[in-house]
Amino acid sequence: MFRQISLAMACLSAGAIVVAAVTGTALSERARALHFSSVVVDTHDDTTQRFIDGNNFDLGPRSADGSIDIPRMRQGNLGAIFFSIWIPSKITGATAVNRALEQINAVRDQVRKHPDDLLLATTAAQVREAHRQGKIAALMGVEGGHMIHSDIAVLRQFASLGVRYMTLTHSGNVDWADSSTDAAMHNGLTAFGKDVVREMNRLGVIVDISHVSDKTFYDALAVSKAPLIASHSSCRAICDAPRNMTDQMIKDLTAKGGVIQINYHVAFLSQEFRDAEKKHPEINDQIAAEVKKRCGDNEACQLMEGDRLTREYVDAGKLPRVSYEKIIEHIDHAVKLVGADVGLGSDFDGANMPYGMEDASKLPMITKALLKKGYSEADIRKILGENTLRLMAEVERVSQQMNSP
Amino acid sequence: MIRAIRPLAVCLCLALFLSAAVSADEISDRAKKLHFSSIVLDTHADTTQRFLTGKFDISKRNPDGHIDIPRMREGGLNAQFFSIWMPGAVTGAPAVQKSLDQIDAVKRMVHRNTKDMMLATSAADVREAHKQHKIAVLMGMEGGHMIANDLAVLRMYGELGVRYMTLTHFYNNDWGDSSTDKPAHNGLTDFGKDVVREMNRAGIVVDISHVSDKTFADALEISKAPLIASHSSSRSLDNHPRNMTDEMIKALAAKGGVIQINYERSYLSQEYNDAYKAVAGDVSRMEEKFKKECGDDMECELKAESQFTAKLLAEGKLPHVSWEKIIDHIDHVAKLVGADHVGLGSDFDGADMPEGMEDCSKLPRITEALLRKGYSEKDIRNILGENILRVMEQVERVSRELRAQP
Repeated sequence: MFRQISLAMACLSAGAIVVAAVTGTALSERARALHFSSVVVDTHDDTTQRFIDGNNFDLGPRSADGSIDIPRMRQGNLGAIFFSIWIPSKITGATAVNRALEQINAVRDQVRKHPDDLLLATTAAQVREAHRQGKIAALMGVEGGHMIHSDIAVLRQFASLGVRYMTLTHSGNVDWADSSTDAAMHNGLTAFGKDVVREMNRLGVIVDISHVSDKTFYDALAVSKAPLIASHSSCRAICDAPRNMTDQMIKDLTAKGGVIQINYHVAFLSQEFRDAEKKHPEINDQIAAEVKKRCGDNEACQLMEGDRLTREYVDAGKLPRVSYEKIIEHIDHAVKLVGADVGLGSDFDGANMPYGMEDASKLPMITKALLKKGYSEADIRKILGENTLRLMAEVERVSQQMNSP
Repeated sequence: MIRAIRPLAVCLCLALFLSAAVSADEISDRAKKLHFSSIVLDTHADTTQRFLTGKFDISKRNPDGHIDIPRMREGGLNAQFFSIWMPGAVTGAPAVQKSLDQIDAVKRMVHRNTKDMMLATSAADVREAHKQHKIAVLMGMEGGHMIANDLAVLRMYGELGVRYMTLTHFYNNDWGDSSTDKPAHNGLTDFGKDVVREMNRAGIVVDISHVSDKTFADALEISKAPLIASHSSSRSLDNHPRNMTDEMIKALAAKGGVIQINYERSYLSQEYNDAYKAVAGDVSRMEEKFKKECGDDMECELKAESQFTAKLLAEGKLPHVSWEKIIDHIDHVAKLVGADHVGLGSDFDGADMPEGMEDCSKLPRITEALLRKGYSEKDIRNILGENILRVMEQVERVSRELRAQP
């Protein structure tokens, strides 16, 4: 709720002027027709945390805070969304398994509550079927291998329950893989980690290399029989964050049919923002302390308050303002590098959104900006969702092949 | 789960003795025809513990245990609930993870034997398997402790294919009293009642084997769907807390439920039950005795228990119990409430079988015995499997109705 107030204020003051002046918010007929006839797929969204925080959040009504609900998904024509099953890396063991099940249940509950708007999808064909029925496809990705507790049987049950990708690590290393934001200890994937990748191939669970260390990425790329995805990572050449991918990694990923899904988090989009954060580490410390004070252990609250507080610092001129057009820069960089093998992995409700991309209703701006850059309609459809659907279909094909006698 | 896996030597010696007494030749053509055209559905086997060892191959005839595909084929056992079970001492998140491991073990076992088996989660699936001449494999969860007090976990078990849950095992859990523990909740707590409601909604059959009489009464009152006792026998024939009184059986049947007779010797024979108690104490506490030597290896524990009783039997400290006791229990229930409310819940691979029912290959004897007693073919089919299919269908219908509500 806080965020919407600040948003409204931003719009009234600088935000509206900036957005209106730089790009114009009106969509051309062509952009509208293209965007609203496309299958728009977002491969990473943390709204699941809101389902389970005890405040009875429901996707049905328009919400005053956060980035995702059915009305705003409709408004932005977001046609398929991967809800993240996520708990912090520090929660391990059987507890992590138990809590992952709770989140899977929470996502499925939302689908049960909104049968006219949502459809649980586990295949590319089901996403297309949802689109045909005018429904939003809900999918699930597990963000962090720690949730299987080094137990392949658990991975298989997650898959049975509909999980369709797993990010091999989150911010911390797991027992069998190194993260990009932890001290390397396994030199990438262990032998068991490689078995996990093989089993994911067999199950038709997409191997997601966002968050993993560069060596883990290369190990996964070597082992996997199916293309990989970076469900929510941006380009390191533009913003030097370990969570982003180097040009060489993007080339190697896409050479094997993979896709990089651009993350909208301001600290992954903008080097300027990142430099300011580094220069003033006290700001992040202050934000973290304030978030902890307001939210305690409520992850959903933490994620949304972090976004809101960051904007307060931006408004106060202490952190740079990052426009949604940075998303377009990252897309364009990847496209120039490898062709249109890139997509959208917002990190909505889990990161700090740039100005002009506050929520899912703003997604048509991406289509508009890409048209303006002279992208073909076919390439824009690919970026909006077809790339992910192609990758899913390929992962399914590999799985069927591995399972046939 | 009581215990299992008789040593090979005892197996051979008893088999020889019994094949003389009741030979397979005594199964009439009529019984064979009836038995092998029926859906024979057993609601409780603990073979899952053997799957977990990684050494057990269900596709070939095994010299020990009670269940494998060749013997299931031989006994016409074409639908089996495999139990997801661990001791009540395992609770919280570790119980959840271990449950997923066991669900996985059952599914992989099916996956390895798709020529002979099919995973079934509905009555229609069981009938479809039968049509395809495959064995329907179902899953039941034996003990509410495995949901870790979490309805979300229960729902996910439902989604993964678990189709009944026994509310407790030998010990009370945080929300329900067991028949073999000291009452702590006076039956079901409020949360326990929510568990039952959620099971109704999820289409998971409420199983009242193992629970205290008060828990049974509470569950019966709350549940919108019929209940089952997946593996319990008649207390008026053998006064054991794991069995049901005539009053309970009547109340269960009045709401459409079914009692599935358990073949465990202690639950079939008063004489055996008394002797066992005299020499070894309460059967439900025996698992503690073997816990020390076996640690977490449940197959080892079951073997140790089985060897323990085999030794007592050999020493003459326990009486022989004939398989015909199973018929006595079936007949008692049928006389009490009709043949529509009784069925088979062997406890194969989890209990000590009576003589003549050493494994599932002996099941046609039940059909033969019931025919000799003058049961109609229809009643026998109901007992063999149709009763439980009827309950499953009703549970599915209630679930659909409840899910349709906002």
